[in-house]
Amino acid sequence: MHVDYWQEIREDRLGRIGLYLILLLALLAALAPFLAPYPPEARVGAAFSPPSSRHWLGTNDVGQDIWSCLLYGARTSLVVGCGAGLLAGTISVLVGTSSALVGGFYDSLCMRVVDALLVIPPVLLAILVGAYFKPHLLTLVLLLAAFLWPGGARIIRAEALSLKEKKSVAAARTFGAGSLYIMARHIVPDLGPVWLAVMIQDARRAIFMEAGLSFLGVCDPTLHSWGRMMQQALEFTYLEVWKWWLLPPGLALSLTVAALSFLSFALERILNPRLRGEREDAGH
Amino acid sequence: MLVIKELQVSFGELIVLKGINLELKKGKVLAVVGESGAGKTTLGLSIMGLSPGKCAGQILFKGKDILALSEEERRLIRGKEIAMVFQNVEDALHPLYPVVDQVMEALLIHGIKDKKAAQRKAMDLLKAFGLSEERTHFFPHQLSGGEKQRVLLAMALANEPEVLILDEPTASLDAITRAEIIKLLKKVIRDKMVLLITHDLSVAAKLAHRVAVLYGGRVVESGATQNIFTFPRHPYTRGLLRSYPNMTTVKDLQGIPGPPYKPVDGCPFHPRCTQRVELCFREVPELKSLGDRYLACHRGGIIPLLEIKALSKSFNGVRAVREVELTLYEGETLALVGESGSGKTTLALTIMGLLPPDKGEIWLEGQKVLLRDKGFYQRVQMIFQNPKESLSHRMNVLELVKEPLDVQGWGSEEEKLERVRKVLEEVELPADDFFLRKYPHELSGGEAQRVAIARALVLDPKLLIADEPTSALDASIQAKILKLLLSLQEKRGLAMLFITHDIALARKVSDRLAVMKDGCIVEEGPASEVITHPKHPYTRTLLRLAADLKEEISISSMDA
Repeated sequence: MHVDYWQEIREDRLGRIGLYLILLLALLAALAPFLAPYPPEARVGAAFSPPSSRHWLGTNDVGQDIWSCLLYGARTSLVVGCGAGLLAGTISVLVGTSSALVGGFYDSLCMRVVDALLVIPPVLLAILVGAYFKPHLLTLVLLLAAFLWPGGARIIRAEALSLKEKKSVAAARTFGAGSLYIMARHIVPDLGPVWLAVMIQDARRAIFMEAGLSFLGVCDPTLHSWGRMMQQALEFTYLEVWKWWLLPPGLALSLTVAALSFLSFALERILNPRLRGEREDAGH
Repeated sequence: MLVIKELQVSFGELIVLKGINLELKKGKVLAVVGESGAGKTTLGLSIMGLSPGKCAGQILFKGKDILALSEEERRLIRGKEIAMVFQNVEDALHPLYPVVDQVMEALLIHGIKDKKAAQRKAMDLLKAFGLSEERTHFFPHQLSGGEKQRVLLAMALANEPEVLILDEPTASLDAITRAEIIKLLKKVIRDKMVLLITHDLSVAAKLAHRVAVLYGGRVVESGATQNIFTFPRHPYTRGLLRSYPNMTTVKDLQGIPGPPYKPVDGCPFHPRCTQRVELCFREVPELKSLGDRYLACHRGGIIPLLEIKALSKSFNGVRAVREVELTLYEGETLALVGESGSGKTTLALTIMGLLPPDKGEIWLEGQKVLLRDKGFYQRVQMIFQNPKESLSHRMNVLELVKEPLDVQGWGSEEEKLERVRKVLEEVELPADDFFLRKYPHELSGGEAQRVAIARALVLDPKLLIADEPTSALDASIQAKILKLLLSLQEKRGLAMLFITHDIALARKVSDRLAVMKDGCIVEEGPASEVITHPKHPYTRTLLRLAADLKEEISISSMDA
């Protein structure tokens, strides 16, 4: 079955919106040093200036440019999202495929660990851990990935179990191939799309969790983050300033999470043949 | 009784016969079979003392060694006590004398002095041999081939010899004449010692009690005719039987690989043998007794490649394979026939180690299979039921066919590429770069099947398990692929476990047939035997429902 996933995502309306939004955000984040008029931590104007041509989104309580903070915040969100998603996804694939292929006791052990991790509410634990460690960017990524991989591992294991039954895998075994070869050559390449879906899902959750942790103030306070911006803005809701200080990061966060949701929604539709059948252009 | 001991005949440097030990017994026919050039006729001539070559060893007749006798003494025996019917009917008769005179001459030489009496006896003899009275006065050119053969037989038997040597008595005769001659022979040789030299296995089967198979001047296998022809143990004997067109065996004709015999060291057959080992190049195997026959083979005859012993497998209490016992010999096809769900594929997957057996053992080349390592899979390969599914859609033809070599860590990349190209040519697929870059979805069903076969053959296995290898194909392509498999079997001695539900197909490709029903082997035997005399009702049903081109449908007569 040859499916051009890229093409399919672009043909899906939601997928297209999600994709363009993510690309736009990535572009903004990447070009933040050029697009941002001021360094985010610099005090460049009077406190609580309303939006103007100098400060598009005004300034905060200490006179930092909110537009610049927003741009740099996008970097944090995307780095945390991509990093945690990639890492969690990779752990998911390693654990999922190996337990599907090896089976037996190892499989049960892995799956019980997954179950155990799944029942722990991740946000609660993240707050606890975060509160003591004040995690910086890298630790944050590791921390989030540690909470995110179990869900993906289940999905990947299920998929690998069905891929394992393919005749081509049986054929490879009859050439004398071992589990490692089969995993690398036959299972993982076919896991690609599922892996991508799992990673996007993980990224979405990671971004959300990072924002949450920052909002609760358990992260490294020097981190430029949308969650942190919202936490700071919340103190001044009695002023007009919330319109340009509280709303933009909230909106940006919602857009990012929505874009990733659209993408994974579109991917799911492409990957699940039963949902594929409902498409108007089925039989392509 | 005539006993040949350690007979060796040579023409100069060339040894034509070596180490021949045979016995002719009264009232028994011994057939010597083999390809032309095997030394059959030389053997006959040596007994007659007519061989132009240098003979060593002994030929004992009535306590005397014929080879040690003087020419004069031999002349007395020849024609009187030992007679021979020569191979070439055309040349053996003198063209200028009527045939009756020629028979008379044989009588006059040995004993009878009265010419009148001799002529009368000759006439009677010819009549007894089925020639009409007026024809006895004909010249040889006026007689048909069959009639000339009768004359020759009459000549040979005129003096009632004790030993008769028949050299190709039915060569170049049509089927009806041949049948008449065989019938006549059966009648006249009843109390004689007969050495029948023939390449026509059917004549041997009809006349001979025992058969000796001659190859390169040596007896490679000998024993009771029925045993030898039903269960040949020497690869050469099997090759002879497979290449002989007849109505008993049902498999497509197969030849013997390689050119006919040339003098070599070691076992004479080793250049053409598919199961030779290093020893076969060096030493000549001795003719040893194996109970029901004598056999000269270092490997003890055609080796049992795969032995399945009391194998059982069940799924959730459903017994898919029950106590199955099967043996597959080197270079043969064993067809496993049965309806879907009879456990055929389960058996195949269990052999391949893709399913763990509940009980039972699998032996490969005389060793119990404990661990399926790369060495096992190098020798045993499988073609899966649905070829396209067994090809990963992410790999192109080159990667697919190369995969087994990659897994086995075989050779360098260039060597692998060369091997891939060679095997693709072997399965009659293009081996150019364009084809090598094609992906499975760009291949036709037949091409995909061939790629799957190429993958199974690239490691040069000894055993191929083919699970319905052609069920998804058109009959025309199926025929080509089966031809291909059979020619590979002929060339490489590939043993095949051929799994199919189609008994009509199995009949054409298999040496032996096993019928499977509900996980049990209900009948097993030579394909011809199972097809013509099915014992189990299920086999009979399968045969009745097999494809034919008749109008009526036999489903109504199905067993309940």
